[in-house]
Amino acid sequence: MSQPVAEQNQTPVASAKSSHDRIVLQRLLPFLSLIILFIALAIASPHFLTNTNLSSVVRQTAVINIMALGMTMIIIIGGIDLSVGAILAMGGLLGTMAMEKGFSIPVGVVVGIVTGLLCGLANGLMTTQLRIAPFIVTLGTLGIFRGLTLIISNGLPVHRIPQQFSFLGEGNVLGVPFVLWILVACALVTHIVLEHTRLGRYAFAIGSNREAAIYAGIPVNFHTTAVYAIGGMLTGLAGMIEASRLMTGQPTAGQGYELQAIAAVVIGGGSLHGGEGSVTGTLIGAFIMGLLSNGSDLLGVSPYLQQAIIGAVIILAVTLDELRKRRTASS
Amino acid sequence: MLLELNHIEKRYGGVTALGDGNLAVQPGEVHLLLGENGAGKSTLMKIIAGIVERDAGQMLWQGREVHLKTPAEAAAIGISMVHQESLLAPHLTVAENLYLGREERLPLGWVKRRRMIEAASRVIAEHQFPLRAEWRVEKLTPAGKQLVEICRAILHGSSLVIFDEPTSSLSGSEAAEVFRIVRTLRERQVGVIYITHRLDELQSVGDRVTILRDGMTVHNGPLAELTTERIIHHMVGREVSAIYQREPLPPGDELLRVEHLTQQGKLNDISFSLRAGEIVGLAGLIGAGRTELCRALFGVDPLDAGKVTVCGREVRIGSPKEAVKAGIALVTEDRQITGLALRLPIAHNITLANMPAICRFGLVDGGAQNSAAVDFIGRLRIRAGSPRQLAGRLSGGNQQKVVIAKWLFRQARIFLFDEPTRGIDVGAKVEVFNLMEELARSGAAILMVSSEMPELLQVADRILVMREGRITGELPGRTTQEEIMRCAALETQPVSEERL
Repeated sequence: MSQPVAEQNQTPVASAKSSHDRIVLQRLLPFLSLIILFIALAIASPHFLTNTNLSSVVRQTAVINIMALGMTMIIIIGGIDLSVGAILAMGGLLGTMAMEKGFSIPVGVVVGIVTGLLCGLANGLMTTQLRIAPFIVTLGTLGIFRGLTLIISNGLPVHRIPQQFSFLGEGNVLGVPFVLWILVACALVTHIVLEHTRLGRYAFAIGSNREAAIYAGIPVNFHTTAVYAIGGMLTGLAGMIEASRLMTGQPTAGQGYELQAIAAVVIGGGSLHGGEGSVTGTLIGAFIMGLLSNGSDLLGVSPYLQQAIIGAVIILAVTLDELRKRRTASS
Repeated sequence: MLLELNHIEKRYGGVTALGDGNLAVQPGEVHLLLGENGAGKSTLMKIIAGIVERDAGQMLWQGREVHLKTPAEAAAIGISMVHQESLLAPHLTVAENLYLGREERLPLGWVKRRRMIEAASRVIAEHQFPLRAEWRVEKLTPAGKQLVEICRAILHGSSLVIFDEPTSSLSGSEAAEVFRIVRTLRERQVGVIYITHRLDELQSVGDRVTILRDGMTVHNGPLAELTTERIIHHMVGREVSAIYQREPLPPGDELLRVEHLTQQGKLNDISFSLRAGEIVGLAGLIGAGRTELCRALFGVDPLDAGKVTVCGREVRIGSPKEAVKAGIALVTEDRQITGLALRLPIAHNITLANMPAICRFGLVDGGAQNSAAVDFIGRLRIRAGSPRQLAGRLSGGNQQKVVIAKWLFRQARIFLFDEPTRGIDVGAKVEVFNLMEELARSGAAILMVSSEMPELLQVADRILVMREGRITGELPGRTTQEEIMRCAALETQPVSEERL
């Protein structure tokens, strides 16, 4: 049957190429909306394109962005982490407490990051070993981590922090906010991990079809746990940046951040069913949200309305993404 | 004429699913609808059942033209469909599933549970289904679930029932039960449309045949006038030898030896061995423990006792990871659930089980991945646009080939095939057999589970037969169906794990 097969092979190649172009175009849609939003704000407000405003957007968004990078990996693997807000607070608190106790700033930062790593590790171990849905596990640890943070701090923020620590969140390197460098580095590494390493490939496979991944001989539990730990680590880092920006270790920091991080991933094309998501998408998602909230501030939109706008954008973005997927699936 | 379809057309985007679909069904007739995957059978049935709307053409129901927009409209005029995949709510009882969506309700939505169970019991008794109205559906075997689907269709569609491959997951005696029910429907002057891939079962059930190819009706007439060869010719549009012939190879070294394998309640003292170049069939009824044996050998379910030796070395297989490491591959019966990551590209699926082979310094080497994928797409004749095409968009046969490619890339030597031809069409079946042959030739050992005995007789060098978790017979490849059945079934299988 060599002849008919060869014939049938021709058409799919052609159609796959043109549909691929269309997919690329549709993937660009979030990016285009980000640019349009940017231009619109530049026109609408004279204060938008100022150096101070832009760097403040970057600083504000960086914390959510770095958390969202970890969340991207977690969502790709088919999981979710509701406890990142609490992890952020615990990382920030323990890191600043270490500095208060007289450890150097780098040691403090490492303490914060390691705290996040351990929290993420706990989440990962519980979902894989107890076989409880990650939504439930992290809903539980959200309470546990927050509670522990409040107990450790006695509910009081840590203030006695070395002055130089503010450089992490507020400093500039080569005229650009230091946090932007950190964000770019984290995004680059996360992107490489997701797209070009075994862990990333396994994450997509596990999120796309966990059973099939198990049957392919992949150590699914190990990689799932690793992804949660990495997510926790990035959150710990975000916690240190947050602490540096506030110059306090706030036990109540990060409340509601988990939803913003999830929203950034989802706006960027991540699927809560797993197997889909990208670093670029997440960055765009986080910046869209950051610009919306910054723009609303500049234009004097009430903060109450702001929340509603961001909520509507989340639904709109996911609807458009679903439509795109349905169209490519049926063609 | 009960139902008449003339020149039905249906397009999805730019793809023509049906170009010229014609079908006529009389009351009291079992009408077989045949065709390869993608021939348009499902689309035609979905149009009849009100799941999709036609773009053009005429549908006459009892002489009057109808336009059905929803399955509920179809059900209202007496058309219902038994779906291939179970669409039941597992946590509800048989009775609740039978009446799902059409419960008798009192004001405030109160459901009359007892009346419902009584009514369901009556229908079950009338057709002698081996079911009970109070059973929870999740406890039923696949065969039991299929029977619930059939029962539901009978209950709601009084004039025309569509069966979409009802026996694809059933063993011989369970399929016979389906045939019996189809025959009682025929006696009651119900029209039946019956879709199947199993050409061996046509004679036991059909009256007339309509054959679709590439969205067109290419043949229509009484079954008695057709031979299997003619049917295949119409379906494929070219000559394919229906009877695949395999010449046994001289057996090589023993690759797998299994001794006294036991798993509480499922497997009982199982011993056998596989040699390089050998294809061993594993026959038995559904529930005999064939799938369980494969799963146990692949480390999915833990063993209670027994010894597994691979290439002369004893191995402990506690997880799929260890099985894969030992060179064992499992091609599962439900490739969409356990075989493939449907939303990932073909290339990723093929390389998934052997990532180290395409990684350099911890990073995936895109070139190596691509060339591996292109190589296998060519070698296994996978009909795909490019290695980047998503696995979910391939046809069943091609998905099966991707799964096999994955294991070939992993350089597995012991292949466990669990129902490798389920749901794939005749042409692809022959290709899968050829592939197994090639595997055997290259020194692999193959264990092939199949419920289709003619298939086992064609392909296997030896046939092991299981019943109730034991191996009850080892037969030569040139045995007979009767001989297999004798070992496989001496008593009928209960359809529920709950005993009466």
